[in-house]
Amino acid sequence: MIIFKGAAVRAEHPATRQILEPLNLTLAEDRISIIGANGSGKSTLLKLINSLVLPTSGQVLVNGLDTARKGSSVRRAVGFMFTDPLSQLIMPTGREDVELSLRRRHRNAEERRSAAEKVLDRFGLVHLADQSVYDLSGGERQLLALAVVLATEPEVLLADEPTTLLDLRNEERVRRMFRGLEQQVVFTTHSLDFALQADRTLVIDGGRVVFDGKPTEAVAAYRRLSVRDVAHEEPRR
Amino acid sequence: MRGHASLLGAYVERNSLLHAAPLWAKFMPVATLSVLVLMLNSPFATLVGLGLVVLGYLVGARLTLRELVQPLLRMWPLILILGAFQWFRSGPETAFTVVGNIAVCVLAALLVTLTTQSQRLLDGLVFLARPLRPLGVDPERLGLTIALMLRSIPYLVGAAEDSRDAARARGLERNPRALILPVFIGAVAYAHQTGEALAARGLADSDDDG
Amino acid sequence: MQQTNPALHSSPADVSARARRSWNATDLSLIAVFAAVVAVSAILPAIPVGQVGVPITLQTLAIMVTGIVLGPWRAGAALTLYVAVALAGLPIFSQFRGGIGVLFGPSAGYIIAFPVAAVLVGFLARLVFRRLDRHRFLGLFAACTITSLLITHPFGIIGMMINAKLDLGAAIAADVVFLPGDILKNLAAAAIGLSVIKAFPRLQSRP
Repeated sequence: MIIFKGAAVRAEHPATRQILEPLNLTLAEDRISIIGANGSGKSTLLKLINSLVLPTSGQVLVNGLDTARKGSSVRRAVGFMFTDPLSQLIMPTGREDVELSLRRRHRNAEERRSAAEKVLDRFGLVHLADQSVYDLSGGERQLLALAVVLATEPEVLLADEPTTLLDLRNEERVRRMFRGLEQQVVFTTHSLDFALQADRTLVIDGGRVVFDGKPTEAVAAYRRLSVRDVAHEEPRR
Repeated sequence: MRGHASLLGAYVERNSLLHAAPLWAKFMPVATLSVLVLMLNSPFATLVGLGLVVLGYLVGARLTLRELVQPLLRMWPLILILGAFQWFRSGPETAFTVVGNIAVCVLAALLVTLTTQSQRLLDGLVFLARPLRPLGVDPERLGLTIALMLRSIPYLVGAAEDSRDAARARGLERNPRALILPVFIGAVAYAHQTGEALAARGLADSDDDG
Repeated sequence: MQQTNPALHSSPADVSARARRSWNATDLSLIAVFAAVVAVSAILPAIPVGQVGVPITLQTLAIMVTGIVLGPWRAGAALTLYVAVALAGLPIFSQFRGGIGVLFGPSAGYIIAFPVAAVLVGFLARLVFRRLDRHRFLGLFAACTITSLLITHPFGIIGMMINAKLDLGAAIAADVVFLPGDILKNLAAAAIGLSVIKAFPRLQSRP
């Protein structure tokens, strides 16, 4: 359960610019998608949940934990997947990276190794585990990043445009993976198909939630909004 | 991001006594030998030291003569200039001792590097840092920071090559700022991005919420 | 910039020695990345600079910029990390040297000087940023040059005296050939450090 209590984010310079207007939301559904234009505040909203960004006013609670006061507990309970898997994978090979994730749970190196093997096996990544992450394809990297995040069994998974860098086939792989997860998943995306694969969809525009409801209706609202905004721009030659 | 060039090139795979020995069992004799030849500071001690090093390379580690001579070849300007200078100043004996001692110490230390995988060397470093815990050095975080450092090297080499190409494309290949500044700006941006990813994975948290 | 979690990024209020112990994720990663920058500057081929194309290596420049950009403690940590990893055996000293043997060579003094120089230049650069609103470039150049003259070169000279058994005069003569190049690199380091701080103003709020 994720609760926003009047949470707002203001820019530091210039201090007047509001990145996210005060937000009151309760996110309880299993799958929640967030759509909106570039710079609309989607990522900021997501990072609020992981305490990567703190609200300048108001509060965000994740399973009862205040993100401002219990930052590291919140981050342990909430996994975060970035758009670019390479910004997330730290060690040279997938196996080492999964083991790194498991450091906190398994102090013993032997235990860690077998736990990592299990995680890799569960995601069907054993055959890639000892290759350099730089030699993997974009899709393989993103699946590996997902495995690395889920290795610690977080209660909530956040994903910031997880399929933006992927081709259609790999997007389908990630989407299928998402469908099978038991965690609550909140993700942002530019793929309207992907956005439909949710129980609830938020449309963000200019730092405000302009629509909140059924995915099909949200996508329609987002389309109308985009067309309206672009319509008054003069076409140039 | 570019492919990852391996820096871990020093290790030479062999099946030998020294390869199998634990790190401390190699490090201690090397340190002792180095300190001894430097303290005794006599041509005889240097000669014995050289003999031991040669024995260590050829027998202890089963390395080839070439692998023994190679590091010396890399040091030849130093050996030549310093040797000639000391000969001229204080005579051949001193020249032999000074240059010979440097050779003994460098070769002996290199023997550890040649026979130990770099991951084990770094584990050794993290282990050595354990007594520093009261000073605020957390071995766990040190290991992570070393991993981050090694991961950044290929990225930065790539970034430096890119900025060289970009500078050349703009006709600025002799302008130090156009060559160097983008690498530093890129490094800071990369560090911030990595820091955020670390935080998101809860990896850099030293302890629980206080 | 948006308000980010102070546990991840620096906040201006957080200026004390305490900050040293509470290094956050971004600090750790800045330390690691700048240790790597210094390593890369040592192993990358020298670049030709200026009309005649004199090839220069950039290691001392990288150390000065690290001090200016990270401030004394993080820069000192970055350079300590670099030296420790290189001494442990990774070939990331110049000419792909590495291992504890370097401590017995004539360049040992310069290498021991690296972390000390980073701390001093970082400390002086913070003074420049705090006290000067104009002429910051000159201030940073002075900070770098004071560090060269007070730390890098004296340490280097002492190292050559001990390891190569040179007397003071000979060691100074061997050292002084690097001085003109270092002055030029300090000019570049001041300019680059200033530009990096302009691009990331948040960096200088941390000691």
